[in-house]
Amino acid sequence: MARERVSQADEWQAWAQRYDIEGGIRTFESGLTIKVFVGALFVGLLMMPGSIYLSYVSGESGAGAAPWVAVILFTELARRSFTTARRQELYMLLGLTGAAVGSGLQYRNFIWYAYFINTPQAASYEIADKIPEWIVPAGDSVGVLTRSLIHPDWFLPIGIYLIGKLLGTLRFVSGQYILFRLTADLERLPYPMAPISAQGATALAETTGKEETWRWRVFSIGSMAGLIWGFLYIGVPSLTGVMMSQPIQILKIPWIDFTQSIEGFAPTGVFAFRTDFGQMLFGFVLPFPIVVTEFIAAMATQFILNPQILYRYEILHQWSPGLDVRGVELFNRLDFWQSGGMGKSFSFAVVGMAASVPMLFKMRRAQKAAGERGSFAPPPNRGDFPIWLMGLMWLIGMGGFVWLIHWMVPNFPLSFLLGYAFLYTPINSYITARTFGVLGRDLFEIPYLHEITFILSRYEEIDIWFAPLPDEDYGRGTQSWRVLELTGTTFTSNLAGTLLIMPILLVSGIVVLHFIWKIAPIPSAQYPFAQMMWPINATNECLWKTSLRDGNSQMLQAIRGDYIAAGFTGSLAIYGMLWVFKLPSMWFYGIVGGIGADPGSIVTRLLGAVIGRFYMIKRFGMRRWYMYNPVLAAGFACGVGLIGMGTVAIALVSKAVIVKPF
Amino acid sequence: MEKLASLIIIIGTFLWLFSIFALEGRWQWQMFSALVLTVGIFCAHFWEELRDTEDSGEEKD
Repeated sequence: MARERVSQADEWQAWAQRYDIEGGIRTFESGLTIKVFVGALFVGLLMMPGSIYLSYVSGESGAGAAPWVAVILFTELARRSFTTARRQELYMLLGLTGAAVGSGLQYRNFIWYAYFINTPQAASYEIADKIPEWIVPAGDSVGVLTRSLIHPDWFLPIGIYLIGKLLGTLRFVSGQYILFRLTADLERLPYPMAPISAQGATALAETTGKEETWRWRVFSIGSMAGLIWGFLYIGVPSLTGVMMSQPIQILKIPWIDFTQSIEGFAPTGVFAFRTDFGQMLFGFVLPFPIVVTEFIAAMATQFILNPQILYRYEILHQWSPGLDVRGVELFNRLDFWQSGGMGKSFSFAVVGMAASVPMLFKMRRAQKAAGERGSFAPPPNRGDFPIWLMGLMWLIGMGGFVWLIHWMVPNFPLSFLLGYAFLYTPINSYITARTFGVLGRDLFEIPYLHEITFILSRYEEIDIWFAPLPDEDYGRGTQSWRVLELTGTTFTSNLAGTLLIMPILLVSGIVVLHFIWKIAPIPSAQYPFAQMMWPINATNECLWKTSLRDGNSQMLQAIRGDYIAAGFTGSLAIYGMLWVFKLPSMWFYGIVGGIGADPGSIVTRLLGAVIGRFYMIKRFGMRRWYMYNPVLAAGFACGVGLIGMGTVAIALVSKAVIVKPF
Repeated sequence: MEKLASLIIIIGTFLWLFSIFALEGRWQWQMFSALVLTVGIFCAHFWEELRDTEDSGEEKD
């Protein structure tokens, strides 16, 4: 029987419909009340230290838990007070708590560069003394050596960050809003993934009614699983780390490395089993074909392509026996995969353009045929803003941002900055907004744009690598405006809430991160994930930042035209052949994503996908399982987050106590 | 249009394999294959997106 051809847009929208449990509403109310604001601040700030701590211990911040904890507390209080919580309030609570709990991690670059500037890698690549002072104070400054963010040495980096944050808020709010009006109001694009985000708030809003629903039960199951897992994976090493010099790890964080065990039959292959079983929940949610094809492609790479072809033909030539996963990956990347990966990224850009450009043509033709256009007039009471005001805000935000970058790197050609700001950013954002509106994801992205720019500009100083560039994308953010619309939350209340909470979070985030840095050096045995990953990240960063120096750096030597072409053309051929044989386009993203990847990092995700597909769907039915998924994931994140919060509290208390010898 | 797109893609794929196995993977030939494949993929998507509009237009006529 001939297979029916399904377009990429139809394929992704069909998948999105699985999560679309109910339609949106079109009456709007404010979600911002005093109790929402205080509740978000209370839970967010309570969980923020745990979130920062977790990110250094396990690599996952668990920040997803906090909004749900806030919503659960809020709905329970509402029930016990014989009142109800509106979905607008709950959605607002989710957003504000998420912002509050994530506010500490916004400064994480300060800690990273304070570490990086004193690494042997930065010294040996001769960039330690060239890192600009608007990024981090000097390596021998008091602020860095005493691990204190609240020190005058840090005033310049923090000041620059705060100005950037203010200008960024102006740009992103206005840019996203204008594009939302264009794509959702005028072009009437469906935004298929928006209902999934809207569902969380609407799910829990109904628990404030008189009867308990399945959601509370599913959330509790997820929370208990998260508590148990969080205790074993994060709690035990963190608590023993407080008492002992070497923490006890029941499961090694972040992986168990089998690379040396397979080198006998698969030289240059890697297999490091990632021990974070929280990844299973991603497997539940991600499209099954993507996870399976990704794993198969990764296995084929590490057991066939790397050892039997690339190693045999001496393309992977730096490998030697006895290396662990980090060493093998570094040499493989320098030998081939840096270039091969670049080629793959370019293929994503071409496929994205091929999918999105015809959509523009289709829109025009459809409009001509129907003889009508979507109205630009907003629905009543949605809390819209004047377009001219938003345009002015964007111009001020972008103009100020360009001026700031020019001040940071005065010798970098201004024409590049202006081109990015006023030409590339609007076009790129509009294309992304359209692909989000139709497919619910980003398709168009030009890879290695910064690197290409630096080469074209012939600017050789290191400082440009540390400066931001005004190549932005507001298209992704348009979806959040659509979610506001679906939950019936007025735009004005959302903006007011965001602006009110921001100053509090800017101050509290830096204070909390300061105290966490004071607990122990980052990285150190207290923070196993950082200890494992940061040295290799420092090497990678050095390789990139020196890649254009002298025209003969290790990174430039690693970039080879024939290997880039192989990655690029091979990926296009895979996509083309999948299309010819009418196979799902999701396979492309799985296969090309998996090529070159470590299969050990995908095992837990695959486990989740298989359990979901072959047990859960059969047990609960497709519709119910996709209803359960987001709530279960939220419960699990909540459980892990609570453990993180508990352990960081104990760690902070123990470090605050000075034990006297008498 | 669908058959034409398929043909271009198949030619592009064979060209790429030929450039890898017979021409030592020279980047110029690989990029030429990529160009052929890109044309094929664009044709495929244009056909996919515009076929419904064409159909509805024909019905109206």
